[in-house]
Amino acid sequence: MSDSSYDDELYDDGLNEEQFAERVDLELWKKLFVFTRPYRRELTMLISCGIATAIFEASFPLITREVIDDVAANGSQVNLWYYAGIYLGVIVLLGMSTLGFIYMAGKIHTYASHDIRRAGFANLQRLSFSYYDYRPVGWLMARMTSDCERLTDILAWGILDLFWGTSIMLAICIAMLIMDPLLGCVVMLVVPLLWWVSKYFQREILFSSRQIRRVNSEMTGAYNESIMGVRTTKAFVRESHNARDFGRLTGRMYQFSLRNALQSAVYLPLIMTLGSLATGLALVIGGMNMIAGTLTAGTLIAFINYTRQFFDPVEVLASWLAEMQMAQASAERVISLIEAKPDIEDSEAVLAGIASHHPVARDSELAVDGMEERIREIELRNVHFAYDPAEPVLKGINLKVSQGETIAIVGPTGGGKSTLVNIICRFYEPTSGEVLINGYDYRGRSLHWLQSSLGMVLQSAHIFSGTIRENIRYGRLNATDEEIEQAARVAGAHDIIMAKEHGYDATLGEGGQQLSSGEKQLVSFARAILADPQILVMDEATSSVDTVTEARIQKGLSHVLAGRIAFVIAHRLSTIRAADRILVIDGGEIIEQGDHATLLGHKGHYYELYTQQRIGTTTDRDSGWMPG
Amino acid sequence: MNTKEHQHGHYQELWALTHGQRLRYGGAIAAMFVGIGFTYAMPLIVKWCIDGIMAGEFAGLSGFPPLEGHHAYVYLVGAALAVVVCTAIGGLLTYLRSRWAAVASQHIIRRVRDRLYTHLEHLPTRFHDTSETGDLIQRCSSDVETIRTFLAGQIIQIGRTLLMVLTVAPVLFWMDFKLALVSLSLMPLLFFFAFQFFNRVKDLFQKRDEAEAAMSAQLQENLTGIRVVRAFARQAHEIDEFADKNRAFRDQDQKLNVVMAFYWTLSDILSMLQMGLVLVAGAYWLMAGDIGVGTLFAFYTYVGMVIWPIRHLGRVLQDVGKAMVSLGRLNHILAETEESFDEPEPSHPIAGDIRIRDLSFAFEPGKDVLKHIDLNISEGETLAILGPPGSGKSALIQVLMRLYDYDRGSITVGGTELRELPRKSVRAAMGVVLQEPFLYSRSIRDNLRVGRDGATDEELLAAASEAAVADSISSFRNGMQSMVGERGVTLSGGQRQRLALARALVRDPAVLIMDDSLSAVDTGTEKRILEALRARKGRATTIVIAHRLSSINDADRIIVMDDGHIVQSGPHSKLIDEDGPYRRLCQLQSSLESSLKRDLESSKEPTRV
Repeated sequence: MSDSSYDDELYDDGLNEEQFAERVDLELWKKLFVFTRPYRRELTMLISCGIATAIFEASFPLITREVIDDVAANGSQVNLWYYAGIYLGVIVLLGMSTLGFIYMAGKIHTYASHDIRRAGFANLQRLSFSYYDYRPVGWLMARMTSDCERLTDILAWGILDLFWGTSIMLAICIAMLIMDPLLGCVVMLVVPLLWWVSKYFQREILFSSRQIRRVNSEMTGAYNESIMGVRTTKAFVRESHNARDFGRLTGRMYQFSLRNALQSAVYLPLIMTLGSLATGLALVIGGMNMIAGTLTAGTLIAFINYTRQFFDPVEVLASWLAEMQMAQASAERVISLIEAKPDIEDSEAVLAGIASHHPVARDSELAVDGMEERIREIELRNVHFAYDPAEPVLKGINLKVSQGETIAIVGPTGGGKSTLVNIICRFYEPTSGEVLINGYDYRGRSLHWLQSSLGMVLQSAHIFSGTIRENIRYGRLNATDEEIEQAARVAGAHDIIMAKEHGYDATLGEGGQQLSSGEKQLVSFARAILADPQILVMDEATSSVDTVTEARIQKGLSHVLAGRIAFVIAHRLSTIRAADRILVIDGGEIIEQGDHATLLGHKGHYYELYTQQRIGTTTDRDSGWMPG
Repeated sequence: MNTKEHQHGHYQELWALTHGQRLRYGGAIAAMFVGIGFTYAMPLIVKWCIDGIMAGEFAGLSGFPPLEGHHAYVYLVGAALAVVVCTAIGGLLTYLRSRWAAVASQHIIRRVRDRLYTHLEHLPTRFHDTSETGDLIQRCSSDVETIRTFLAGQIIQIGRTLLMVLTVAPVLFWMDFKLALVSLSLMPLLFFFAFQFFNRVKDLFQKRDEAEAAMSAQLQENLTGIRVVRAFARQAHEIDEFADKNRAFRDQDQKLNVVMAFYWTLSDILSMLQMGLVLVAGAYWLMAGDIGVGTLFAFYTYVGMVIWPIRHLGRVLQDVGKAMVSLGRLNHILAETEESFDEPEPSHPIAGDIRIRDLSFAFEPGKDVLKHIDLNISEGETLAILGPPGSGKSALIQVLMRLYDYDRGSITVGGTELRELPRKSVRAAMGVVLQEPFLYSRSIRDNLRVGRDGATDEELLAAASEAAVADSISSFRNGMQSMVGERGVTLSGGQRQRLALARALVRDPAVLIMDDSLSAVDTGTEKRILEALRARKGRATTIVIAHRLSSINDADRIIVMDDGHIVQSGPHSKLIDEDGPYRRLCQLQSSLESSLKRDLESSKEPTRV
């Protein structure tokens, strides 16, 4: 029942190729099994219902046997109402146990996957950016949706079938052995054969369906590319080339799908034929005994019926086993997602501080961790950082910033500007060195406190679906409409918003596609202003805004920046010049710092950057269109 | 394109899909029919044995030795072999049926996929402007998959169920009329029940799917915006929001669980009752001597064989409903008209002067972005276009490339009306670098070769160094072989733009178009690129849209656009003397330059003292 729209097929990116586990790792499944713990009562019911169903199903051939033998022996003396009553009784019981197991399995499946998603989501909110750096959104989506459905499917229906399947096979075996031990043993000879064939085929079938999924994900990628790149494709007249490449993909898809279909097509008839072998054996031996008078017609019929009841559980068990081997990788990934420890989290000491901090002191000068709320000074001491040890990004940064200062950061792309800011915000922690807030290492402060003191405006502004108003309100959830409007005015977004058909209530789709990138930046700027942060970070925040609007923002900006610490990564001269201090960063080091005039006086890197770029920078983005 | 405006597919459309594969499907049906016949042999053989043993003599074997000792053994082994052989032949036919159905359905689906792909690539740019990528991909993947499972599985299942009921009926009536009536008595009810379920549960499934989609959307937004979430420390808020959606989905799913549990249970009980009826009624007539034990066995087994597929019918019908919806969603795409692309090749290469006369153009009706444009571009000229965003610069070049069709005014290239030139030839003659360049997730080499198939590595490298990207390429571990995209190297905006430029240069086009394509490139590099392009000058007509004066003041001619009009036109030397936006721009620049000079002076003061 999992027709999830975020199936692996869409988002399997090959980060963790799924492989067939040779053995079933019980430890792993135990960890998952923990999620059924709140539903212990349901699980017990499920297992009981599964076993009961098996027993009732296995009892039908016995009833048939009784009826036939009784009629054969006693002729018209038989009270058929008695048998009808029994049959009806078993039907009612079977109905009840069926209702029970379907309901319980459904409930466990639904509820456990809800719980796993909840736990996963909560952990995703804790995990550091470094976790996200290597995992595309689609990959995480697939873990939280399709993987989750798949695993809870095993937890609920797999467990049910395990108990139902083994019980019914056991019941059939016992019934046959009691009715006629020799005949029972002979018929049961076919079972290992059935099991072996089933195991082999189920494995092959799952394996080829894996290949199908892989090609399918490539195919989805190809569709994606063809749609995203349609202009380029048209401009370079690549339609037929692309179609030819795509044809190769669909060709492979055809081949794998056909292989998969043929495996199933062989498997079922094969197993039916094997089953008929058991029927034949029962017929020959049972028939001989019947002629000899040692076996009744009813028993023979019961035997033949049983030989037909055997394949279902064998097939089901074999396919669950294969599925478990196959899903092991999913299980590992989901567990790892839930159990992943964030690189950056509050230390024991901070947690203790938060716990002991008196809630009454809320409005005081103290932050949630019982330390100073106000950020007076940030200092970086010999900060080094590397995403990958072989490639250091920051090398020994020393910097001291006081409240009210605006720091502009300039330098070539890849020099470490954004990384520096991310470290100050504690999205990453330095690999060595330390960051001090008010003279105290920020690793000893509450993470939530620091990050709720932040306001960020990023170059690629993220817009949530919802109205413009809701998007701005994200900065401060309890802000009034007036405050939102005020923030939008300061951000220079008000007029643009009012020009929309529904103003602040204009609904934006996913990713805010109805807004231009400049408009998105303004909305996210308003959001940051509304948050009234102690530290404001602007990373190329107005790069797509036209100059007229930019000029308007500049006017409000000095007012906004007053009293805060601000880090501005920008190319625009007007923004840079207004900063209290300019850092020139290249190769992970601060190679120059000072105010505009001083730096020009040095005739160093800044001077070079500035004079070399001056024409470009000054006229960047239509400066000429400023009125007058 | 809206997801909600789709219509259900029609059965005729489904029939049309099977074109070319109908013979296979016919074969599959035939194999299924014969196969079912063989499957039906087992109960009859067993019945013959049991009745024979009970009677002391096998029916139809009156002339043979009596049923004793090794003769009986031979008969029984013969019967057992017959059971195995009939099942095996039935199995073989089932295999053939599955095989033909699989081949047919896979052929159909491959055709659908290829057709969708080519269709999407040939749909006009306007279509892509208004449709959402995610939605299109969803249709191309999930909807196609739904139709595939329908064609490969559900058609067969429905056909098999009907065929089984229809073929078993005569056998039952042949054996015993009264018992046959009893055996089939509850089946109509089961069919009815399946249809009822199908109608009732549709709604619930839709609600569940919607709840799931809402949950996924919430998740996706959170994950793509995780930086914003963190920057505002909104984790708790996000967890609450997700919990709502997660719970809503769980509750919808649970509602469906309950309905499913009742449906399965009730249809199970109905099936069991049918079996029970056969047993009891059979036993009654057995007592009366109307039928033998073997006949009772055969009835009981047949009903068991037929009733299980009927029990599943409700679910299968539901999948049919889904397949029809999916078909409707696909037809929605396929019904869009493609750009014409089968135009005849032009007799001479597309080159020469471009003359634009009174051209007006709108993306959306009523909102002209180009208004009465008149413009001549001589062959080999370098033309720069300046203007504020929305002034029509990009629209102009997109029309020139026939990415959009114009209907008012005229454009001629080398004297021929652009509209009458084949789209593909027009585009092939142009090399374009778009504002936000798109690179394919292939190797860098393959991306450059998009410019021209079969270009040698030397040619690629030459273009790459002209676009000042050769050094970047050699800095990648795998050089030209490096993959672009998620699984390969991450390129900066500037690197992407330069690669896109190199790709256009590889093409060596008659017209080179650069749409603000060096905006993310730093000024020093831009200078190098422009010098390299200048060295090429004369080889191509070049149209440059740019914001930086440095990129354009060297052009043969500069046009300034505003609000869909050309407001100024001429070389730098002429425009600088005119009162107009261009001069204002230059003045602003010089005022900034003088302020820079002041800055420099003032910063020098202290050092002088």
